[in-house]
Amino acid sequence: MSETLVQVEKYAEEAGTKVNSLRKNESLVEVSQDHLKAFLTHLVNDVHVRHLMTITGLDLGQNLGITYEFNLERDTIHVRTLVPKTKPDALSIVDIIPGAILYEMELHDMFGIQFLGNPWKDQKLLLPDEWPADLPPPLLKTTKADQIRRRLGLEAVKQ
Amino acid sequence: MNTQSDQQRREESAGLMEYSTESLVPFGPIHPALKEPEYFKLVLEGERIVQVIPRIGYVHRGLEKAAESRPWVQNMYMFERTCGICSFVHSLCYGQAVEELTMFQTPRRAKYIRTIIAEMERIHSHLLWVGLMGHWAGFDTLFMWVWNDREVVLDLVEAISGNRVHKSMNAFCGVRRDMPENMTERIVERMKFLTDRARYYREIIDTEETMLKRTENIGRVSADTVEKLCAVGPMARYVGLKRDVRFNDPYAAYDEVPLDVVTTTQGDVHALLRLRLDELVVSANIVSYAVKNLPDGPIRVKVPPIIPAGEHSSHCEAPRGEIFYYAKSSGGRTPERVKSRQPTMANLPTALEMLKGQTLADIPIVLTAIDPCFGCMDRMSFYDTETNKQWTWSGEELRQYGINYYFPERSRKKKGLMKGIRPLTGQCLREGF
Repeated sequence: MSETLVQVEKYAEEAGTKVNSLRKNESLVEVSQDHLKAFLTHLVNDVHVRHLMTITGLDLGQNLGITYEFNLERDTIHVRTLVPKTKPDALSIVDIIPGAILYEMELHDMFGIQFLGNPWKDQKLLLPDEWPADLPPPLLKTTKADQIRRRLGLEAVKQ
Repeated sequence: MNTQSDQQRREESAGLMEYSTESLVPFGPIHPALKEPEYFKLVLEGERIVQVIPRIGYVHRGLEKAAESRPWVQNMYMFERTCGICSFVHSLCYGQAVEELTMFQTPRRAKYIRTIIAEMERIHSHLLWVGLMGHWAGFDTLFMWVWNDREVVLDLVEAISGNRVHKSMNAFCGVRRDMPENMTERIVERMKFLTDRARYYREIIDTEETMLKRTENIGRVSADTVEKLCAVGPMARYVGLKRDVRFNDPYAAYDEVPLDVVTTTQGDVHALLRLRLDELVVSANIVSYAVKNLPDGPIRVKVPPIIPAGEHSSHCEAPRGEIFYYAKSSGGRTPERVKSRQPTMANLPTALEMLKGQTLADIPIVLTAIDPCFGCMDRMSFYDTETNKQWTWSGEELRQYGINYYFPERSRKKKGLMKGIRPLTGQCLREGF
């Protein structure tokens, strides 16, 4: 196990969770929303894992998964946190990692997750400005492509 | 171009959060004829840019959603269509993410062929970019020379894969076509030619007044800011961060080929030019080495259409920087979820920081410097909040404005083009403009 992962394990224990090794050089840490920011602060400041590759959204049925993908040389660390689908509020990490700003906006568009503390959270990034408010976010499993097409009046284009 | 206070302000505002409304310039988004659409809200203080707010998504086609309803193999060729320049590396990265979920290993020969194609793609992408930089700086001769040389590498790609742009070379755990016979000598000779040309262009950009004036000391950002904003590829290397996936986490055959990571600490647009030209030489060396030492053996392993359940991510070094793919399978014929992140998305916050403190004339050159996968330089409207007047420039007019700003003596012939257009402030008016 690399030195980085040994340190990550230490801080994961502090956050009340543990590191799952997916395969060589790749591990997954599941952290609750309460401990997320403290854990990420340690990760960035103490372990020096500073490169956030992206933030991945996942539809896990009852919950939405938010995975922060970190990379330090050969190690990839996925930090996953869950938010309930009924109230998808998450804490923004822009104050710890300013580079996360666009990824959070993307997740807001695609999964409807509200990132509290993101300065641009009310703006759209990828979806059009005229995206209807009654349409569910497009990347949820319950949202079908046909439904979006019908609501946007694109049936004629399809024919 | 930078004063001390500009530098300080930009370092303090790494979070991109400040917002002042002196005057607002909407930049973009669409011109129906040319390039890709993009929109930036520029907040100006006189001639200087203080804040930039991006609005992307005009060409968002919903590939991630589409991937969930298509078979694994089809997705490989769909994701290849993400980009019209660095297409191969997308299918490579997606392929690697999926391959790890299967129990099969990619043959060594296939890994070498992947490396060769990926590096040729980097050469043609970098050459394309150097040409565009020449065009936007007002040095069209460079543009024509470089794009002529780019044909050399495109011809090689065509000879190997049958296509110039969308190679469709990849398959799961292998490649679809073997290297043609008797190509080694030809490739090595062409790579030597390209190396010589890259060195020659390097000399030109270091001595030519046009390029020096337009690129030196433009777009300076501190290494700390770049690291905080998680930039990738050349955008991280030009301030001295050694961030290269090929070196840090080798994939394909990169652990067996000679690879130097080029970095510079100069940290301006000129450094980006030198860096990418130096990378051309490194890429040409890798291609030459790989074709000479191509191992024998099979090029492909057959993978069943059903991928076992699991999740995996992969990252690769595209010409513009790191790309990232994540694939999740529930054991079916189609993916449960695929996530892709392109380098321009990661580099955009840094580009916005680079723009801060620059003048209006530097917009085309700085936005081109990040090698963006969008090209909307084509329409720009100006709004002056004090006088409530609005006017519009096309991309060509903006380019001319930039050239005239730096080289007023050249603008006499083209007086007609800019006639009747009211510049933003009196400060930018020079003789002959």
